[in-house]
Amino acid sequence: MLDRYTGVLLFAGLGCFGLAFVLSAVYPWMITDGTRPEASIEAVATPVTTEFKQLKESYPVAFAQAFPRADECLTDQELVDVAADDPRRTASDGAWGAAHAVALRAGRDEYVGQVCWHCHSQFVRPVANEAVRFGRVRSAADDNNELQRPVLWGTRRVGPDLTNEGGRRSNDWHVAHFWDPEGTSPDSVMPRYTWFFRDGFQVVRGIDPELAARQGLSSEREYAYPGVFETQAEAEAELARIRESADPNLKAETARLRVVPAKGPDGDGLAIIAYLQWLGTWDASEREETNQ
Amino acid sequence: MTATAAPAEPVEPAKPAEAPATDLVCKGLVRWHLIMAMFFMVTAMTWGFLVSFQFLGVSPFEGIEWLSFGRLRLLHTNEIAYGFLVNGFVGCMYYAVPRMTGKPVASAKLGWLILGVWQLILVLMSVGQLLGYAQGVEWGETPTGFAPGTWNMNYVPVDFLIELGAVLVAVQFLTPIVKSIHRHQYVSLWYLSAGIIWLILTYVMGNTLPEWTLPGSSGAATAGLFIHDLVGLFVTPMGWGLMYFFVPIILRKPIWSHALSVIGFWALAFFYPLNGVHHFLLSSIPMSVQYGAIISTMAVEIVVTTVVVNFFGTMWGRGDALRTNLPIRWFYTGMVCYFITCLQCMFHTTLAMQEIIHFTDWVPGHAHLVMLGVFAFWILGMTTWLWPRMVGSEWHNRRLNHWHYWLTVIGLLIMFIDLTAAGLIHGFMLDALSPWMEIVRAMHGFWAIRTFAGGMILLGQILFAWNLWKTWTGPKKPYDYRVDLAVAADAGGE
Repeated sequence: MLDRYTGVLLFAGLGCFGLAFVLSAVYPWMITDGTRPEASIEAVATPVTTEFKQLKESYPVAFAQAFPRADECLTDQELVDVAADDPRRTASDGAWGAAHAVALRAGRDEYVGQVCWHCHSQFVRPVANEAVRFGRVRSAADDNNELQRPVLWGTRRVGPDLTNEGGRRSNDWHVAHFWDPEGTSPDSVMPRYTWFFRDGFQVVRGIDPELAARQGLSSEREYAYPGVFETQAEAEAELARIRESADPNLKAETARLRVVPAKGPDGDGLAIIAYLQWLGTWDASEREETNQ
Repeated sequence: MTATAAPAEPVEPAKPAEAPATDLVCKGLVRWHLIMAMFFMVTAMTWGFLVSFQFLGVSPFEGIEWLSFGRLRLLHTNEIAYGFLVNGFVGCMYYAVPRMTGKPVASAKLGWLILGVWQLILVLMSVGQLLGYAQGVEWGETPTGFAPGTWNMNYVPVDFLIELGAVLVAVQFLTPIVKSIHRHQYVSLWYLSAGIIWLILTYVMGNTLPEWTLPGSSGAATAGLFIHDLVGLFVTPMGWGLMYFFVPIILRKPIWSHALSVIGFWALAFFYPLNGVHHFLLSSIPMSVQYGAIISTMAVEIVVTTVVVNFFGTMWGRGDALRTNLPIRWFYTGMVCYFITCLQCMFHTTLAMQEIIHFTDWVPGHAHLVMLGVFAFWILGMTTWLWPRMVGSEWHNRRLNHWHYWLTVIGLLIMFIDLTAAGLIHGFMLDALSPWMEIVRAMHGFWAIRTFAGGMILLGQILFAWNLWKTWTGPKKPYDYRVDLAVAADAGGE
């Protein structure tokens, strides 16, 4: 009997699909994200995280290559001698925001392109002690921004949730972890992300042999200066600059400066770290209150 | 009078000679789609097998970005969905649809075009994903061709090509169905035509809205809708549609109850689409929508029960076919898996179980049971039945097909039980606030068993693919249809 109305029923098939679409997609949109405009990446990029500023201090060369207006971005150290009404301060704030927005977009693209979201969720639920372990429960307002389009909640946790990852660990930890996860988390099954790194040259200062002997440390021990340069000549120039600007009383120290081959995060590596350090730092609820 | 669910006319050749409807069915298209399906099955499983070693602390391609874990894992799921399942279903439809409508498909030339275009799409999809242009939508990671959420083009827009391909498939198969619409339609054709249309709708919805328009929780709701609709509104109707054709053909008796099959179809159409949000329960999606998804997921159990009862009713009195007929054994093993999957789903969609099992290996266990245990089993069964007929030769080696069956079934069983147990342990340890690395260490043994089971399954598929190839290219041996028709012969059908 039903067969006599095949056409009607075919239409009903579309109707069921449409009904489900309205109930499961349009209706939630109406009462969550549809109630206020989606925040742009530029909006969520401010305030700039401390860790992002530290990335410039630790990896100035890669930073300058990866992000726009890097030379205008002044770190707290560089701002010490700048007067409060100096226009460089406002320019610096704007430059940081712009660089951070570029880093967040690139970092999100890496997060999608490397498929991080298949093993890490961004979805803390109000059950299973997840708030105790991972921090604040995810709200609809947290996700109403351009970085969550497409949404990256994930459905599987081989690794921990990253909702509130920002500021939990240092940049150095992330760099070491991307280079070799088992180094920071023994027995981790995460792959090494060696392609987030590039080869270069770095200035290091060897340890004082006497001090090393006294403390029982290896005399091979050395301390790195920020910046992994592409060529040896650039690193040598940096060495000369450090030696020149050093206090004359530290001659013995500067004599132990040398250039060695080194690895450091490249632009993609910095971007993904900037993204991870941003996660959870942008509090949508605060923004709500200040707007009202 | 309603149409019977099973074809009324005998479609089996009376003699072990050429089928009478040679021109009706383009055997070349069936053959090539099935071969491509097996090709992608083997490649996708190889990726899955290789990346599973990452969980054992052995990185298969360490230091190579484009062969990294994340990207090969994408290939594992996407090549199964768009490479194996689509090619397999389309190949079987090239046999089933003309037989049921009595009309050839729209055009054989179009068929070859679709075949070529679809394989090109799959290559572009795989390359794009390896290069890092995947989309951030689960199961729809096919590259959009644009940087996430923007219109800055960075790669071939594979999404749009897939939509185009799906429209061509619709033209190809809806033409004979529409031409024969004045006749009573088999329930099988309802499923197939609905599945084709739903595929287009689902794909466009899931691959566009969360990417370009809907952020956050509403985007997640749509992405959930996509994940589930792709299974529920494309794979499921295709699978059942073909079962409604092949089971009566092989058993040579009509479907037990046409009324039940119609109820099953409409229950699927009504309840399945609403399920999507159950992929993101306990989230910031409005609770009313989550409850709706849970209730309709439970209601889907009605569909499952009616359909499974109907098929076991059809089997009634022919139980020996499970022993004598390998395709039937594949089909009914798949139906048992389907029933387990759906029963499992009814329980684990509840919030209490979600609390524990979401984010754990329980879910991959469930996914393997449904994608491999049900739909892949059916395609493998149909391929086993169709292949000698399509190449006109007896199997190169029948025993290998039995090895294929047992390796796959036992491998899947081990994998399912292993992942389910792993998921429960992971979930309870998470709830009990065990240190994260303790949980990972607790999983290592389960992951090793999973790799072993995966190896068994992969080995089964390689044997089968080799057998298919040798049957086709080796010396032709006359094919005795009565071997497959032992059941029918018993019933006096021949």
